[in-house]
Amino acid sequence: MGLQNGQGGLNTLSALMADSTDAGEAKASVEKADAACVTGHNVLTAKELIEFIQIYASTLLAAGGQTSRVDRTACRIARAYGFEVELAIFPKHLMLSVIKPAEGGIPAERRTAVSSIVSGAPNFQRVAALNALSWSIADENLSLAKAREHFSAICAVPTLNPVLLRFLVACANAAFCGLFNGDAVAMGLVFCATFLGFYLRQKLLHWGLDLKVTFFLCSFAASLVASLGVLLHLGNTPQTGMAASVLFLIPGIPLINAMLDILDGHVLMGVSRLIQASTLIICIALGLATTMLLMGVDSL
Amino acid sequence: MMLVDCLVDGVLASVAAVGFAAISRPTKRIAVMAGLLAAAGHMSRFLLLQASMGIASASLCAGLIISFCSMPIARRCHTPAEMFVFPALLPMIPGMFAYKAILATLQFLNTAGTPQGQTVLVSVVYNGLTAFFIMCALAIGAILPLLLFHREAPLGRTLHKLSQGGNAD
Repeated sequence: MGLQNGQGGLNTLSALMADSTDAGEAKASVEKADAACVTGHNVLTAKELIEFIQIYASTLLAAGGQTSRVDRTACRIARAYGFEVELAIFPKHLMLSVIKPAEGGIPAERRTAVSSIVSGAPNFQRVAALNALSWSIADENLSLAKAREHFSAICAVPTLNPVLLRFLVACANAAFCGLFNGDAVAMGLVFCATFLGFYLRQKLLHWGLDLKVTFFLCSFAASLVASLGVLLHLGNTPQTGMAASVLFLIPGIPLINAMLDILDGHVLMGVSRLIQASTLIICIALGLATTMLLMGVDSL
Repeated sequence: MMLVDCLVDGVLASVAAVGFAAISRPTKRIAVMAGLLAAAGHMSRFLLLQASMGIASASLCAGLIISFCSMPIARRCHTPAEMFVFPALLPMIPGMFAYKAILATLQFLNTAGTPQGQTVLVSVVYNGLTAFFIMCALAIGAILPLLLFHREAPLGRTLHKLSQGGNAD
C-alpha cells in the first residue's frame, strides 16, 4: 500500500528521470525543507534521521543496489530534511555521519553511526521502491514517520510463490540450454535438473545452510540429473545439457554490480562483490567436477 | 533460415531473462520490459557473432543496445534504468566460461608436466580471459549510455534543454 503511494507520488514528476540526481532539484528541496522547518514541524534531530538512513542504506545495499546509488539516495533523503550525510561503505559494514549544516562552517549537529549490512538476496522490487521512496521524500516533503511507514511497507512485500518460481527458473534454464544449441532432449533434461536443483536450493537456504555448501550441493544434484543424458546417450547434445544444467546458480546480479562498482570507483566494494561471486562460481564448478568424477564424464 | 534462428534466439533469451530475473523478485513491469530488452540484446549479439565478430565486442554492442533502449523506458516508468538492464543482461553472463575455466584449472593440476597439460592451460587462460572480458564488456555497455546521457552530463544537459525548448515552443 505504501509502495503504491510512493510510486503514485513519483508519477507527478513527469520531467524527472528516476536515475538522475539533479543539483537544482536538490537545492530546491533543501529550500522546501527549510521552509517546512520554519512553518512548524522542526522537531527532526540528527539522531532520528541517522537511524532511518542507516537502516535504509543497509537494506538497499543488501537488496543489490549499486554503491553509488546508495550514496546518492542517502544524500537525497538527508538533503530533503536539511541535513548532509557522509557515507563510508565496506563489504559488511557501513559508517555514516549525519551533519546539520550551520552558518560559519562549524556544523550545528553531527552524529556518526556504524551498522552492519545483513546479507540478502538481490531484490529488484525493493531497490526500485526504495529509490522511489527517496524521490518522494525529496519532492513531497514526506515526514520521517510517513517515510518509516512506507519503508516498512516496502520491506513487507512478499517474495514470489516458490512453486511458480521453481517453474520459471526451470523454464529459463531450459531456454538457456537452447541458446547453447542444446536439442529438445537436452532441454527437457535441463528442465528436470533445474527444477530439482532449485527446489534443493530453496529448501537448504530455508533450513539456514551455508550459502557456499548449498551452491555446491545444488550444483552436484542438478548436474547429476543432467548426467543421465550423457550416460544413457539421450539425444544428440547431452554434454551441452550437462554443462547448462548448473547455470541457474551463477550469481549474475552480484557480478554485474561488482563490475559497475569498480567502474564507478568504488573499487573496494566492487572487488569484494567480485570475490564473493567468484567463490560461489568455484563452488558450482566443484559440484560439477564431483559429478564428472563419479559418472566418469571426461569433458563437457 | 537465418531470420528464424535469430527469432528463436530472441525468444529463448527473453524466457531465460524473465526466469532468471524471477529469482530476484522483479515487478511485473520490470519482468516484461527485461524480457523484451533481453531479446533485442541477444538477437543483436547473435547476428554480430554470425558476422564473425568477437564475443566480447559483440557483448559490448548488445550491452549498449540494451542500455540505450532502457533509458526511455526508465524515464517513462520512473524506475532506475539499471532495474531493466540487469535482468536483460543475465542471459549473457559468461557463467559457462567462468566455471569451465575453474574445471580446466582442476584438470591442469592433474596433468601438469605432461604434454596434455599445455592444452589444458590454454583452455584455463582462454576461458578465464573470455569470461572476464565479456563481464567487462557487459558492464561498460550497461553504464556508458547512462553516464553519457545523465542529466548532469554535458550531452544529457544539451539534450534535456533541446527537448524542453521543443516542448515550450
